[in-house]
Amino acid sequence: MACSVRQYISDNPYCISSLSITQYELRIRPMSKQHTAIFREACPEPPFWAVTFESPHPPAPGCFVLADFGGPLREALFPAATNATGFTAMLLPRHPATHLLPGAQVDLLGPFGRGFRVGAVSRLLLVAEAALLPPLLPLLEAAPAVALALEAPTRARLPAPERIPPAVELHLITQDGSAGLLGTLEQTHEGQASLAELLAWAECVCFSCESARYPALAAQMRAARLHPAPDFAQALVQVAMPCGVGACEICRVQTQRGEQHACTHGPVFDILDF
Amino acid sequence: MLETCGLLLFRLFAFSLIRMIELAPNHKYGLPLPAPVMPAAGVFGYGDEYRDLVDYTCLGALVTNPVSLHPRRAAHPPRIAAHREHLIVHTGLANPGLRAVLREHRASWERLPIPVIVHLIATTPAETAALCEQLSGARGVGGVELGLSEGVAARQAVALLEAAREGDLPVIVRVPFSRVETLALPLAQAGADAFTLTAPPRAVLPAGLSSDAPDTRLYMRGRLYSTAAFPQLLNVLARWARRLDVPVIACGGVTSVEDALACLELGAAAIQVDALLWRDPALIERVARGLAAPVVPAL
Repeated sequence: MACSVRQYISDNPYCISSLSITQYELRIRPMSKQHTAIFREACPEPPFWAVTFESPHPPAPGCFVLADFGGPLREALFPAATNATGFTAMLLPRHPATHLLPGAQVDLLGPFGRGFRVGAVSRLLLVAEAALLPPLLPLLEAAPAVALALEAPTRARLPAPERIPPAVELHLITQDGSAGLLGTLEQTHEGQASLAELLAWAECVCFSCESARYPALAAQMRAARLHPAPDFAQALVQVAMPCGVGACEICRVQTQRGEQHACTHGPVFDILDF
Repeated sequence: MLETCGLLLFRLFAFSLIRMIELAPNHKYGLPLPAPVMPAAGVFGYGDEYRDLVDYTCLGALVTNPVSLHPRRAAHPPRIAAHREHLIVHTGLANPGLRAVLREHRASWERLPIPVIVHLIATTPAETAALCEQLSGARGVGGVELGLSEGVAARQAVALLEAAREGDLPVIVRVPFSRVETLALPLAQAGADAFTLTAPPRAVLPAGLSSDAPDTRLYMRGRLYSTAAFPQLLNVLARWARRLDVPVIACGGVTSVEDALACLELGAAAIQVDALLWRDPALIERVARGLAAPVVPAL
């Protein structure tokens, strides 16, 4: 029977959707992915600020939460460190989170996404642009032998050396030659593949770079390893992910298997998908 | 056994209490909704993407993301820009095509406690008819919402509507923001079952600096989602909602129960909540429950 909305509102003081009493309601609803985190501290770790949250559901390495800092969109936070009580994210200086007072509540959605799947390997290679290094930091001690290939435009953009555990073998590449090799992750200034030896050594590789660079890095990997196992090389894609659930179509990335959502199919993909 | 009987009795009791919102009173099957609140096309996915964050049982319907006959690829990034409280979105209406959408989501539509309204995008009457034909008989689908492009001519819009009406399902037409004046009356006369007023307006926002030339600022054009759209929505409703003989769904910048009530006061039959729910998924549930609350807040 049709009725006006006004009539509907006044006639249905306890309006539960009639269709709510269905089989759907009898299914167990999954646990809500919305929760509150407590801001604990923010301290400078140039070129970032390390911001620590107490959270009942810290994201795994490569996964993310969407935090509400008051803007029109939520912001994806990747953990740079996690423990049983929360996680730390690396944010840019002057980020709104760096101005929070200890104890402030931050609304989080998540965790979302498929993170890094490293497993029990003995030789792990991490490859990153310095500006995109933080999501790889939880993996610095994920294997007995870890090597980190880090690229920056210049020495000043590299993270403080004390942030890297001494056991990690560090390979620096700068575009102006001010530290380590002169060149890029794709090739040295002499035209050689920068990562060839490291890719041959590693049992698993995790990348965190601009996604436009992944096809070239995948080509370098194919040259170094003839038939790598699935997930031998994993690449984190950092793009805008406003909804986190694959609804908004904004985070679509082009892969060998067609367009996929970074927020649900990734944000960590097999690099051979690019 | 006793529990099952109790549930059945409660179900009968609930059905006797509740009256539905009818969105297509002139259609042979109608489109009754259990509540006057639903997500807008393009913000909620195709099915149960938000199942962990929103209680679907309090919504009136699920409006899917735009679906075309053939797959559409995403626009080149950037696809979103934010500035103060404004969002610009340009996805290119990426979707896998109706066949793939049906393959992947038909089963979840059947399980949903609310009807599904499939938002269709087509440029020709033949495409529109093919889309509606594929949808006919799909369980769980209660209607279609026809998306029109900003530059569509009135004659072409009417042709698209007529093609959509060849199917069995009620047809809601989502009218572009700048085209209400020219399209609403011809489409109403051509038999639209309901209108969504309006599609988000087009706007431009700064979208960061160019990677090629770091001194150059990029600008992005796309659909505007903002609380600033709300007064404009009220303006459209005030002028048009009571002049059209069919139900109107209000869409644009609704962020509270009070906003929703204002839309209803101005003649809307239902509300769509747009991209503002990405930041606050509980918003749509709050609005729906607020409208259903025993005491309606004063405006």
